[in-house]
Amino acid sequence: MRTLESETQFGQITAARRPLTELFACTPAVQAILSAASQRIECSAGDAVFHQHEVCRGLYVIASGDFVRKAVRMKTHLKLGSVRAGEVVELAAALGDGRHTYTLSALTAGSLLLLPLSALQKAFAIYPPFRMHLLEELAREVSRAYLTCCIGQMSRRRRRGFLTAE
Amino acid sequence: MATFHTHHPPEDCLNCEHRHLRMFCNLTPEALQDFDAVGIMMNHARGARLFSEGDTARNVFIICFGQVKISSTSRDGKTMILKIAGPGDVMGLSAVLANVPHEVTAEAIEPCQVKTIRKQEFIDFLGRHGIASMHAAQSLSSEYLTVFHDAKRLALSGSAAGRLARLLLDWGRSAANGRPDIKFTMALTHEEVANMAGTSRETVTRLLNQFRRDGWITIKGTSVTIVEPAQLERLTA
Repeated sequence: MRTLESETQFGQITAARRPLTELFACTPAVQAILSAASQRIECSAGDAVFHQHEVCRGLYVIASGDFVRKAVRMKTHLKLGSVRAGEVVELAAALGDGRHTYTLSALTAGSLLLLPLSALQKAFAIYPPFRMHLLEELAREVSRAYLTCCIGQMSRRRRRGFLTAE
Repeated sequence: MATFHTHHPPEDCLNCEHRHLRMFCNLTPEALQDFDAVGIMMNHARGARLFSEGDTARNVFIICFGQVKISSTSRDGKTMILKIAGPGDVMGLSAVLANVPHEVTAEAIEPCQVKTIRKQEFIDFLGRHGIASMHAAQSLSSEYLTVFHDAKRLALSGSAAGRLARLLLDWGRSAANGRPDIKFTMALTHEEVANMAGTSRETVTRLLNQFRRDGWITIKGTSVTIVEPAQLERLTA
């Protein structure tokens, strides 16, 4: 497949996922609050961890296993990609209006850590930069989504000859 | 899609009559006072480029009125339109917060008023107001779903008629904002609509004429009204 300019550019600008240690870097007092409140959730293949539009209980960190994110928008079913151990999910709901923007289902048996919203709110109040760390990570996720979709669409349209010259 | 350009443009954020309809700008009085003090209001003519793909992200842009085309360009100069941003949409947010160059190009497709806020000023504003960072998270979440939705529209609809119908329904419902009449202003050319629907300009012109003859839509100038949304829905199935 030919390399598109945008692919090259995106190669240079893709926002890498931050390691968990960096993402959750905060004061010892805040870390103690988050550790004390965290809950472990075990899942079997096919289990839904949460559903789209449900009230969000907090931020989830995948400890083991493979999971998939799915959303329905205006009758269109979207698969938003898979998530694996070490990834943080539902930053948007935890930081935003508190409702899940997609459904998370287990593809294999696995486990997650739940950081409840109440503990996150406490952490944000004690250490405001923590909220910005998480918001920046959400922005990186959107940036990566642009990369995925632009490359996918351009390749598909090029094959079908639908791109228009400016 | 914009339906607000017949209204008087807001002079400032405090006196904006549309604020309560917009996701990001609907802030608490304290945050709003601060929001009004940051950034500058800028007017852009049709065709003005707000930022280009690969540019360093120095500002965040919030559309007050008008429509902006968000696109990506390939090496051989071909353009792919990702979406049309309208009033209340925040542009450049992901690039500014992720500290990466702009992923896309933003170009006004009609006269626009845009609040432009410098990167650091915007980040500091979010740091001062929890509600603003919450709205920023909602904007990013909406942007995330829109990006994937646009990609899937092309992938899932088998026919050109289905893809065009889905596009018209998306624009109509977005502009209707819950109102029963599904009406929007189509500022794109048929060529650009064809680009978004993954088909040719000729096919778009033929299909729009067919939808109009069948009484499913009406077109007056740039104003499009969807009369029979169920018929268009049927095509997208």
